Amino acid sequence: MSKLERLLNLTAVLLETTQPLSANQIHERIEGYPEAFDSFRRAFERDKDDLRVLGVPLAIERVPGMDPPLDGYRIRPEEYYLPDPGLEPDELAAIHLASLTVKLDGFGDREALWKLGGISDVDVSRGAEAVANLPTDPALVPIFAAITDKRRLAFTYNGAERSIDPWRIDFHRGRWYLTGLDHTRGEERQFRLDRIEGEVQPEGEAGVAQRPEAPVSGRRLPSWEIGDEAPTMVDLLVDGSHAAWAAQQFGPDVEFVEHADGSITFTVPVVMRHAFRSFVIDFLDHAEIVGPPDMREEFMDWLRTVATGGSR
Amino acid sequence: MSQRGNKKATAQDRMKRLLAMVPWIVANPGVRLSELAERFGLTEAELAEDIDVVFMVGLPPYTPDALIDFTFDEDRIWIRYADFFARPLKLTPAQALALLASSDGLMSVPGSDPDGPLARALDKLGSALGVDVDATVDVHLGSAAPENLALLRTAVAEKTDVDIVYYSHGRDERSARRISPWRLNAAGGYWYVQSWCHRAEGERLFRVDRIESVTATGEASSHPAPVEDAEAVMFRAAEAHDSITLRLDSEARWVAETYPYESVDHHDDGSVTVTLRVSGRPWLERLLVRLGPLATVVDAADVAEAKEIGPAAALRMLQRYEG
Repeated sequence: MSKLERLLNLTAVLLETTQPLSANQIHERIEGYPEAFDSFRRAFERDKDDLRVLGVPLAIERVPGMDPPLDGYRIRPEEYYLPDPGLEPDELAAIHLASLTVKLDGFGDREALWKLGGISDVDVSRGAEAVANLPTDPALVPIFAAITDKRRLAFTYNGAERSIDPWRIDFHRGRWYLTGLDHTRGEERQFRLDRIEGEVQPEGEAGVAQRPEAPVSGRRLPSWEIGDEAPTMVDLLVDGSHAAWAAQQFGPDVEFVEHADGSITFTVPVVMRHAFRSFVIDFLDHAEIVGPPDMREEFMDWLRTVATGGSR
Repeated sequence: MSQRGNKKATAQDRMKRLLAMVPWIVANPGVRLSELAERFGLTEAELAEDIDVVFMVGLPPYTPDALIDFTFDEDRIWIRYADFFARPLKLTPAQALALLASSDGLMSVPGSDPDGPLARALDKLGSALGVDVDATVDVHLGSAAPENLALLRTAVAEKTDVDIVYYSHGRDERSARRISPWRLNAAGGYWYVQSWCHRAEGERLFRVDRIESVTATGEASSHPAPVEDAEAVMFRAAEAHDSITLRLDSEARWVAETYPYESVDHHDDGSVTVTLRVSGRPWLERLLVRLGPLATVVDAADVAEAKEIGPAAALRMLQRYEG
């Protein structure tokens, strides 16, 4: 009997039983295990690992009526079976096309499609071209799992330990962001996944993380808006020749005043001053920080430093 | 999805497929083997091997009445008495995220149908997974004027030329060009259109958000797409460039991670020496003004002149403030 057959039999038995089965009972009942108990034990350990890697939710429960207490195994049907999403063939084909055009490599989209019923329209895959390869991040799956399980997360960010109730993940400007309630600060915060230091650890039980009271905007903050301090409102005057591009960068939420010559003054919330400085430099002499005076002065100081850098 | 070959497939890979395929056969009695093979990306021989495995699967005491029941009729298959495999295994968090992110990302492309099959699929998938998709995941591939992106998509699909007005950030100048667009793709938060540029008489990659206008010409593309992917083009120097070698403080090492470089040298103190391709003087001005004291010009075609580029640009900008 092949290992594959044994794994299938093991899964079937553990799904079917309503009482947890001890290792001994599994040894007796399921075909394909070695006779010797030591060899059985090793094979069974490997099988358990395989099932976990496959995502089979193996539950460990006390076997009833045993003294001394004994652990047994079963698979709770409600944790195993995928509820039927009731996808029509064209809907399944649309998901298939999406997975071919916007790719997130290494996340098992092929197996996911099998579970939904495989490829419903082979023509979809012909001529489908990837339009985007999303970058992956080791924190993505733990964060997504924590959001769906309402589990609190712990990680280090900007050198500080954080305790976060995760709310949503957003991909914007080529990067992944997490928005959630930062218990260390008592406020909603946004984090760049690639700036998380070390691992993301689940903290405590599932179901304890709070959800936002009202839907949270998925708006991704530009680099100069990320941070813990209150923002300074900065007026940036942009020449008409570069105003359209600036407007596209700021998005619809930034207030602005249009002038008769086509130039525009944008009022931009700034937290990270050096990030904003870099952004303003992009305009070279087509833009000017108008106020507040300290921001204007700080920017001029930087330009003076560079201007007098001379022949370094 | 096109991965084939059961011979190399491990027990785990085949297990994944069987745990999905058996429920599907149960739910679709009498399915043709050819359709089944196609649906799960197998040859019919591979499919036969997989089905062979399931023949002896069942519950103790493994007497015929406790095993999964197979019926074949010519090229059709039925499975009964497989209640324990009546539904597939739940999606793992990684799989769920992959499907939601891909689908949401494709929905974010300007011009996608908000009531089409993908939108409906995303809704249903969210419900089955117990995830409020809108409140949980949002994938935005890049900003671009929807009408420009739509015109370029049409031109790529229909293989026609378009006229564009392009703002070159590197040169800080505008130009009108006729292009044969080959392919659209999003990377790093921007949309790009890979094209043949008639003005430059060469292959060019344009950032769609810097295209100020697109006008369809209706003329068939005179330059068909080459058989290669856009990433190869992106990383190839698009135009003849000058080079500049900079010594960067450790704080400015991101430069070597951000821009294509010809060579890079890491020093013990964390600083790096990097040789970059210069795509235009304004590009270099921005970089040097941004880096300020964190960068030193080490080498260039004319070192003395290159050392003055940053200070001169800063002075010009300063004049606007002081002038």
